Amino acid sequence: MDIGVLGVYICLFLGLYFEVFLLISFLEHKAPQKTALRPRYYPTVTILVPCWNKEKTLAATVRSLLALTYPKKKLSIVIIDDGSTDGTLATAQQFKNYPQIKIFSKKNEGSKYSALNFGLAHTESELVGCLDADSFVEKDALIEMVKAFEIDPTTMAVTPAMLVHRPRNVLELMQAVEYTIGVFFKKAFDYLGAIWVIPGPFSIYRREVFVRVGDFRRAHHTEDMEMAFRMHEHKLKIVNAHTALVHTTVPRSIGALIRQRTRWSQGFLGNSLDYSHLFFNPRFGNLGLFALPAGLFVFIAGIYGGLYLLYTLLSSLVRTALDLYTTQVPVGLSLSLPSLDWFFLPLNTLTFLSLSVIAITLVVIYYGKRMGGGVKLGTVALVSYFMMFSLLGPVWLMRAVWDTALARDTGWLT
Amino acid sequence: MQSGWQRYLLAFVITATIFSIAFFIAARIDQNRVADVRAMQDAIAIDLLSTETQFELLGNLDCELLGEHPVLSEELTSLAERLSYTENNLGSDNEQVTQLKKQYSLLQIKDYLLMQEISRKCGEKPVFVLYFYSNEGDCDDCTRAGEVLTYLRQEYPGLRVYSFDYHLDLGALQTLIALRKVTGSLPAFIINNRAPIYGFKNVEEMQELIPELATLATSTSAVEEEE
Repeated sequence: MDIGVLGVYICLFLGLYFEVFLLISFLEHKAPQKTALRPRYYPTVTILVPCWNKEKTLAATVRSLLALTYPKKKLSIVIIDDGSTDGTLATAQQFKNYPQIKIFSKKNEGSKYSALNFGLAHTESELVGCLDADSFVEKDALIEMVKAFEIDPTTMAVTPAMLVHRPRNVLELMQAVEYTIGVFFKKAFDYLGAIWVIPGPFSIYRREVFVRVGDFRRAHHTEDMEMAFRMHEHKLKIVNAHTALVHTTVPRSIGALIRQRTRWSQGFLGNSLDYSHLFFNPRFGNLGLFALPAGLFVFIAGIYGGLYLLYTLLSSLVRTALDLYTTQVPVGLSLSLPSLDWFFLPLNTLTFLSLSVIAITLVVIYYGKRMGGGVKLGTVALVSYFMMFSLLGPVWLMRAVWDTALARDTGWLT
Repeated sequence: MQSGWQRYLLAFVITATIFSIAFFIAARIDQNRVADVRAMQDAIAIDLLSTETQFELLGNLDCELLGEHPVLSEELTSLAERLSYTENNLGSDNEQVTQLKKQYSLLQIKDYLLMQEISRKCGEKPVFVLYFYSNEGDCDDCTRAGEVLTYLRQEYPGLRVYSFDYHLDLGALQTLIALRKVTGSLPAFIINNRAPIYGFKNVEEMQELIPELATLATSTSAVEEEE
């Protein structure tokens, strides 16, 4: 077995191991169904809506917040226009007459954290949340999250279940599957006490968090990840309310997707370097021993798999071209259709292992769908996910490594 | 509920089990492939034996009768493809592969001898190439030489190519190598019993070395005739 294939086997083994581990953790618990129960106490909540050039989606975002089934007197909305150059501020001003909405405009400082901190300084509520201005909450999302705080008073932050808002094109459908898998992962990581991102689309913190660990930081443009790392460092509990559904818009073009994911991946690399003491550290439980190493593994395996595939394809192409040149065998005759004879089908160990990974991923998608309120994922979505994600992933992972190595700042792009 | 280390261990056991099952199924399929090749070889061996027996029974060869049951070129080609695929999967040094290759080489030699005899008696002028290769890393050009011969065989269905692993430890093959005075410089070709030719030859060079190809129908002309 050559070393390249051995690497693929190692990646498959670890990939399977992580999937199985998460499934076991998930199945040990029974994710509770949504109930009609209401919180005994409604704490005051402020939702920060930082926005930069979001004139197209801001209004719908704010309307979804206004539609939340939560006592109006207890809910404040703070819109922070972060130096937009489009009509975002004008869109925000449409809501100036709502007593629960405050609108601010500030100079852009090149990253979202400053807008969040600006908003934080204008809040006094017991809970503070944030909602990206391209995301939309379901009516009962806040109540579901408040209930999560109520169940365990030591809970310091709650994350929602994120789904893709009206996926239409193939790229959005691919991300719809990915987000559905994310719903499962978030819950499984919750059971392990190892949630390591508190995403921008509707996460809620106790105000106490900022008193104890400080405000948001620039954090390689992934302040939501850094805050999670910092909270773990201070032993503050983060949970997931899988019944709180939030819909978010996702990049519609490959370029935008790669830019967004490069930023996320670069953020993971940067924050991992800043918080390297968390990795493989039993003091941080499953986060240090499993979740963060798994994230790092996905990073390495993604790049390895991408490079291996590229190398295999290129070397095969070059070899074929050279052979055709030296043998002078006509091109048309040298290419033959793959045989349908069972004998020549690629029924080998790698195929069966890949099928195992796909099968377990389908189980994960099933549970993610169930928790995500039965989100519809058709064949096109599933095929596009399995076909495209593994091809596109290595691109942003490699670009993130490249940009990190060159200390290149990709900026707050999406 | 599992405690921390139990969960880690259980996940490992399940993953290892999935891996073992994948290896096991793949190994079973490889064994089925080997059995398939073996069955094919047995069938060819019976056909060859049948032709030989027929030859002995008739004393003087009935060329027309043999024409109805042409010698086993296609079967041998198909067998070669399967054997090559199996060798790629299991490796050249696999014992089963070596055994299959030995049997295949013997079948080729028998077919070659029988064809010589039939040609002599029936007055045919066959075009054949004995091709000696190695996959022990001492023949960089062997893969490409094989591609040229594969193409020529596709282009001229009447061309008979017998390929032999030069290093195969098989008495009959080593006798053939000694008789034909093939040295270790590979790839080597013997065309219609002429002196060995060494080194890689592209399609054009090969066609020049086998002028008899002009007497054979090409796959295109054969199709046209059928139409």
